[in-house]
Amino acid sequence: MNRRAFLKAGAVGLVALVGTGIGVYSQVPVIPKRPNPDLETAAGWIAYRDGRYTLTIPRAEMGQNIATAMKQIACTELDVSWDMVDVVLHDTNRPGTKPTVGSESVQLFTEPLAQACAAMRDAVMAGRTTGEVEVIERPLSDLRVFKGGGVIGQSPKLAQGLDIVTGQPLYAADIDLPGMLYGRVLRAPASTEVRSRPASWNTDAARAVPGFLRIVEAPGPTIGQAQGLGIVAERPGVLDAIAAALAVEWDVAADHPRADIEAAIDVDRALAEGDLPHVVMDGAPEEGPWDIDLRFDIPAAAHAPIEPRAAVADWRDNKLQVWAGTQDAFYIRDFVADACGLSPDQVRVQSTRVGGGFGGKTICTVEAEAAALSMAVAAPVKVQWTRPQEFALAFHRPPSSHRIKARLTQGRVTDWNHAQVSSHIMFTAAVVPSWMQAGTDLFAGDGGVERGMGIPYRLGRAYAAYDAVRLPIHTGPWRGLGAGPNALATESAIDELARTAAADPLDFRLAHIDDPRLAAVLRAVGDLSGWATAPTSATNGNIRIGRGLACGVYKGVSYAATVAEVAVAPDGAARVTHLWCTHECGLVINPDQVKAQCEGNLLWSLGMVLSDDLPTQRGRVSAEYFSDAPIPRLSDTPEITVSLVESEAPPVGAGETAMVSGPGAIANAIRAATAQRVTRFPVTREVLTA
Amino acid sequence: MFTLNGQTKDVPPAWADEPLLYLLREKFGLKGAKFGCGVGQCGACTVIVDGEAVRSCILPASAVEGSDVRTIEGLAQGHGLHPVQEAWLAESVPQCGYCQAGQIMSAVALLDTIPNPTDADVDAAMDGNLCRCGTYGRIRKAIARASEAA
Repeated sequence: MNRRAFLKAGAVGLVALVGTGIGVYSQVPVIPKRPNPDLETAAGWIAYRDGRYTLTIPRAEMGQNIATAMKQIACTELDVSWDMVDVVLHDTNRPGTKPTVGSESVQLFTEPLAQACAAMRDAVMAGRTTGEVEVIERPLSDLRVFKGGGVIGQSPKLAQGLDIVTGQPLYAADIDLPGMLYGRVLRAPASTEVRSRPASWNTDAARAVPGFLRIVEAPGPTIGQAQGLGIVAERPGVLDAIAAALAVEWDVAADHPRADIEAAIDVDRALAEGDLPHVVMDGAPEEGPWDIDLRFDIPAAAHAPIEPRAAVADWRDNKLQVWAGTQDAFYIRDFVADACGLSPDQVRVQSTRVGGGFGGKTICTVEAEAAALSMAVAAPVKVQWTRPQEFALAFHRPPSSHRIKARLTQGRVTDWNHAQVSSHIMFTAAVVPSWMQAGTDLFAGDGGVERGMGIPYRLGRAYAAYDAVRLPIHTGPWRGLGAGPNALATESAIDELARTAAADPLDFRLAHIDDPRLAAVLRAVGDLSGWATAPTSATNGNIRIGRGLACGVYKGVSYAATVAEVAVAPDGAARVTHLWCTHECGLVINPDQVKAQCEGNLLWSLGMVLSDDLPTQRGRVSAEYFSDAPIPRLSDTPEITVSLVESEAPPVGAGETAMVSGPGAIANAIRAATAQRVTRFPVTREVLTA
Repeated sequence: MFTLNGQTKDVPPAWADEPLLYLLREKFGLKGAKFGCGVGQCGACTVIVDGEAVRSCILPASAVEGSDVRTIEGLAQGHGLHPVQEAWLAESVPQCGYCQAGQIMSAVALLDTIPNPTDADVDAAMDGNLCRCGTYGRIRKAIARASEAA
């Protein structure tokens, strides 16, 4: 890590050093680069001018309210009031930083930002308004942030909160430019992993639609193997009519060889053919009868952000400007430059607030479409995907199937074997082209699929292995990556083992935990929910009530435990009635927003057990609207009680952690209520009928 | 002719067949209402027409002829926020924020009709407004807060 950097001063104030860190661009394909932030890049985040500070947020703001947290860090270290710091979102005319993924913002960006702000504070206090400010690393103990000073640990008003509740423009689709047109790129109703292209279309009929402007036959790169046909109109509402009038005939290659997705990821079929190639835990369980032997199936699921992804592109004077609601503006810049035959310094991407990311807005799709259309018509073009495009062309949580076998000796787990078959999360078809997949599949596992398979219990002779197979639908990172599905499977299995051992599930877990931080959140959720005194199974009339529990560690740094209470009607309808969650993520910058992330994770947990599914037909996503792939609603929302466990540890993220405990707790509560171990998700009423 | 946040407006002929949502966003520059699904299933586009919460993505612009249309941009009076907006900030409801204009407009329409709604009233009025971030618990609290403040 570069430990010396300069805050460069301009003629009118102390302004950011924009480093020379324009990287070396990979040729084909463009793979996201992921350097950790250092002091040199941090120096560009804070500027002082005319008595005010501007904080440029080097992260995507997508509802984790990182802009608020970073403003708290800046105000604290600068020692200025909340209203002295203006927050802006970054563009790509600055050194690149990591994509906003993996709950890393607070973990990786707190210290560099604090160091830069501390240097700025000292310079301003010394009366300097011009010149270069040297940022020299100081010990953490000298930084106010790490002492919990200033507004650390408080919950000030949200950055951009007022703009949201008054409807101000914040998102990519809110951008207005003079003479702006509206575009869409049509693609075949087919798997994105079979070759497809437009073969013929009715130009005359499209021309007859009022507002029609252009057909664009070169509308940017393929998505997977789907080549598109672009249309541009004067108004957005006529794009549907133009698409219908065009009546495109598509050339579509034969079905994908693994169009039967469920068969492709059938873990038992894979195990019958031999060992799974990627080993996560390498113990050697003994053969012989098992105490539990469970198969779990978890389907594909969409991110389903309420904002279908959108971009505005403006090609003029040999420069391309793009406004994008993306988790990775620098990748968008590099990808668009590559796709449009431009050099990266001809492209500027301005990041906007993202209307829900959840890991799904990390690749370049709609931005390249807007860029290609803008260059074709020499005017600014706005493209926002339709809801069916969002389902069909985005990537999704991969489906997975799991086989877990375990054995107890005297109430302790002595043997554990977890096998999983899923599809790719890191080296995905959405990023890695087919010709390269053969190579990556050969040498690399997939860190996303295996996340959470190495579970935080002492399990004796523990073995875990997986395979990832290429599917006809695009898969990739989804809140928590593999940790959510893996923990749903493993925490269900641990619950069954506790039952087999006739042990309390909380005591049983504690007996297998070495990590005191995990034990602490588990004990805390027991206290919070009154676990020891409330019955785990009960009835209220003909309603069956149950309580379940789960816990886990996310990425080795943050901890969560959840207790769920469910009520199941005679017809099998399951309602989650209360969720208690404890969470520990080191030093907490903003407790209210850490709780908000827990609340979000718990709603996602509820969805994972009760509703998340993504219908497909012959290897293509057939879901078009929320009615085809429902997400939780207000009336599904239980009472939620979140408690943060205090910690001396450095600050880390909270955006995904409770995904390791929420789903298992709900599944285990259903088990307690109904005596049914749910093994296929989402659970259906038929399984739980009294 | 129709009324938009208290001002008289015409629907330009070229925009008559566009969804009201696009007339508001792309012609009149009011970006609060959002496109989410285009079929009235998510509620991100909710505005208030003649006192009722409606999905502007499936309402032709021509249909508001003679009507009174309120959008989130018209809620605040002078320098004061609407009590529902105040409640949304007090409960720190927004995460990504994309659905929140629609949520707020549905809540305003609810409280205008039923000042002291029961949980069942809130469910009925708000269940068509989806939020993927999971802010529903705070939405419920914010509606209760605004109801008490009124």
